[in-house]
Amino acid sequence: MGSVELTLPWEDRISAAVRDGERRVEPFRGKAETIRTSDELPQDAAVAAACLSGNLQGYERLYRWQGTRMKNLARNLLSSQSDAEDAVQETFLKIQRSISSFRGQSAFVTWTFRILVNTCHDLRRRRARRKDQVNEDVDELSPRMELRAPGSHPSLRMALERALAKLTAHQRDVFLLYEVEGFRHAEIAGMLAISETASKNTLFQAKKNLRTMLEPPRSSATGGAQ
Amino acid sequence: MKINCNDRDRIFLDGSSEEWAGLEQHAGTCAACAEELRAWKQLSVAAEEMRDYQEIPALWTRIESSLRQQQAAPAPRARFWSSLDFWRHATTAWQSALVGAMVVALAVSSGYLYSHRGGSLNDPGNKLLKTSALAEVERTEREYISAIDKLAADAGPQLGKDTPLTASYREKLLVLDSAIADLRAQAGENPSNAHLRKQLLAMYHEKQQTLQDVLETNR
Repeated sequence: MGSVELTLPWEDRISAAVRDGERRVEPFRGKAETIRTSDELPQDAAVAAACLSGNLQGYERLYRWQGTRMKNLARNLLSSQSDAEDAVQETFLKIQRSISSFRGQSAFVTWTFRILVNTCHDLRRRRARRKDQVNEDVDELSPRMELRAPGSHPSLRMALERALAKLTAHQRDVFLLYEVEGFRHAEIAGMLAISETASKNTLFQAKKNLRTMLEPPRSSATGGAQ
Repeated sequence: MKINCNDRDRIFLDGSSEEWAGLEQHAGTCAACAEELRAWKQLSVAAEEMRDYQEIPALWTRIESSLRQQQAAPAPRARFWSSLDFWRHATTAWQSALVGAMVVALAVSSGYLYSHRGGSLNDPGNKLLKTSALAEVERTEREYISAIDKLAADAGPQLGKDTPLTASYREKLLVLDSAIADLRAQAGENPSNAHLRKQLLAMYHEKQQTLQDVLETNR
């Protein structure tokens, strides 16, 4: 029955406007990211240098540049707006504390998102412990649903959020970083301390699992006329 | 490029743009691959629904404030290491001189300790009580025992009551009596052992305190 709950009748729920984006398949995505990365490299170095100098304006530049993306990833990982804001704030504090250890071995944004992902995992663990302590009868796997932007598709998003909650944490991280935030596998590998191949394999497994969870059962599709 | 159904998962995993184009072409004549390709791409489309890059104006104010606070209060560890920064700036000659001075200071202090405590280091009784101290300890123990006997007599009727609290006190006193008996037996064999005597006094003190608590509850 759980799979029925998660079922996503794709054609009904994806609007025509969104469906136009279907052309954005992997080869197209690769080209777009190459352009984005080469454009952003000087900015990455400039922001890193500004933060290293200890000037708060450097952190503000980082926030203006990546803040909404950081908050979006944190919210998708934590399923809570307020926890996401806490995670972003904590990430900035951690960056400030450990900025002297940044050696430029990866892009500054990659380093920043690595800290963010770890912070989100810590928050998740703390939240799980809190839940255990108060003995709440809440299903760990079901995320707290919150309202989103008016233009979004609540049922589509909710179905995907529920399915994502059933993936392993690792698969969820890779899916969100690649598919939602648009990072490349090389960047994700740097963030999660895995190889690029492992990132590709994990994304493949994540999408396979999501496909199974979200696809309408074949029996109900054929038996719909009854 | 010739693509068939067996290539599909490999292309999903890590296909080149030519292979993707080949798969699209193949999907035009294969219903199963067309369905899989459609579902695969739609996952990416659905993922876009999870993208909400709305600004939260108050968040930066909050972050900036906490960054300022953190900047104003550096970590103690950082302060400690920064206090040693002078070392890096000192010349080699100064570093050698400081190391030499530290070695001399260490040698002098070690020699002093050896000459003043050398005898006692070889004496296994350095943790034993001297005769005068032992007499003092035994006198204190006698005072404790006397005080405890008086308190025990006063607390007797109270301890006889059948309430959960007094039962708990009785249990605690039994444990203390048992510990005191053990320690006294050990102290009898080795009366000058300061550690045993200290533990014994602590037990007497605890028993005295417990009996006083029993009497307090009666009031």
